[in-house]
Amino acid sequence: MKVEMKVDYYPGDPGEFVRVDESKCTGCGECAKFCTRNVWVQDGKIFRPKNLKACVECGACWNVCEFDAVIFEEPKGGTGVRFEYG
Amino acid sequence: MTEVEYDVIIVGAGCAGPAAAKKAAELGLKTLLLEKSRTPGEKNVSGTCLNMAALVDPDLHYLMKGPVEREITEMHSYMITPERTTMFRETPSEGLILLSIRRDHFDAWHTEEARKAGAEVRLATTVVDIIEENDAIKGVITDKGEKLRAKVIIDAAGVNSIVGRKAGLIPKRKGTDMILYVTVNVHLGEKLVTERFGNSIYYFLAPQTQYKTWPWAFPKKDVVTFGTGGYLDDNLFKDGINSVNDYMQNLLDLPVIKEKIKGGKIASWGLHLEFDEALERRTRDGLILTGEAGGFVIPFLGEGMVEAFLTGIYAAQTAAKAIEANDVSAAFLEEHFMEYYTGNVFLQSFRYVADFNKKSILSMPDEEIAAMMQNVCIGGGFISNAIHYNWMKGADEDDMSLVQEAKDFYEFIQPYRQVGSESVEIYKKMRAEK
Repeated sequence: MKVEMKVDYYPGDPGEFVRVDESKCTGCGECAKFCTRNVWVQDGKIFRPKNLKACVECGACWNVCEFDAVIFEEPKGGTGVRFEYG
Repeated sequence: MTEVEYDVIIVGAGCAGPAAAKKAAELGLKTLLLEKSRTPGEKNVSGTCLNMAALVDPDLHYLMKGPVEREITEMHSYMITPERTTMFRETPSEGLILLSIRRDHFDAWHTEEARKAGAEVRLATTVVDIIEENDAIKGVITDKGEKLRAKVIIDAAGVNSIVGRKAGLIPKRKGTDMILYVTVNVHLGEKLVTERFGNSIYYFLAPQTQYKTWPWAFPKKDVVTFGTGGYLDDNLFKDGINSVNDYMQNLLDLPVIKEKIKGGKIASWGLHLEFDEALERRTRDGLILTGEAGGFVIPFLGEGMVEAFLTGIYAAQTAAKAIEANDVSAAFLEEHFMEYYTGNVFLQSFRYVADFNKKSILSMPDEEIAAMMQNVCIGGGFISNAIHYNWMKGADEDDMSLVQEAKDFYEFIQPYRQVGSESVEIYKKMRAEK
């Protein structure tokens, strides 16, 4: 059986709840390395959460960023990822 | 002077939140429970089985009335090395080990219980910030811009809680205290789940299926949930592993699992972080951190929900005391909160077992751990590993103090092992009342 990332989302705009602080990002790429959903993409010298739509709000990027360049907030109420079965 | 709108505001309706809200309402406090999802249990929650040994605590009996997927009576642990596969089958002489639940159903039920007890519940409401005045936490701000004030804020918003982070209590965490793990739910239908998995949970220790954790399979009614991953450090990805999904793929490809999920379909996939050490501080003036937000979780034993329920309840009791004493200082909250916490023998047992296991698993390569487990002959699973770690080490090094420590530990955890007829009687009574 092939692992398939079957993920559900609530309808509605979650907002830009993950952002990069451009002044702090060193381009080390740890955020992208630990992101299972490939949200973080290199853009010149820094990384940006370009695929935020795919985010499942695990918070790995925020935790591994040693430079405080990942801004990890919350999606708007009733939006974002929706897990079945918990 | 600012008017206080609530006695207690609880952020997050997972395990700790509804438990805290229900208790706070029962104690007569004006209580508000906030939850960001539309249905509680649909966000990044962790935990799928309730531990019966802990549920015999009178504070938790009512949880047995919740929606249960499967009554678990067995545990299988597979130790897989290149040479051989060893399987332990552990079953209590009587009673249930665990109750398997679906969190989207269970948390929603639990939240409804809190509402029935008198708590106000607001769903689809995200807390985005805290209100801080003179170094004290006075309230929270929601995504709708509302400023909600309370005498005590109880943070029950999980491992990445914005409340705990904004309050400076939850730091960034990388390394061997934080676990990143992936879950998949394989749909087989009730008949096949029963035939192939029965009422048992499964743990697997096999190379390339995890990084210093224990992959697991927990059957629900018509799906089986698999989980695996590893510590969030630089060794998580190596030797051809580029993502936690690779660990999961290797797990599902183990012959022993492959056979069992044949014909099934992946119904859903999830990704979670879990922190397995206590936080340095869990309180500030006007704020208590509970459940995973407070570091009250032990992924090593797959334990987190019970710690969350209990710390939620203890936080509510602490808040009631603090409000009565007109003292919501961090010192007062910490003292009373931890008094409840350290007084609970089950929680202390969990911590002990986890500490031993973590020491052993971090100090040895997978093959050695698996081999050691294969040599265990007085029972299976985590507890035996915890005991044997010091026991074997003591025997190897001719250090009797280590053996004695293991023996003392074995005595200490006896309450944790006892899941006897009492639990079944309580369970039957609670189900009848339901």
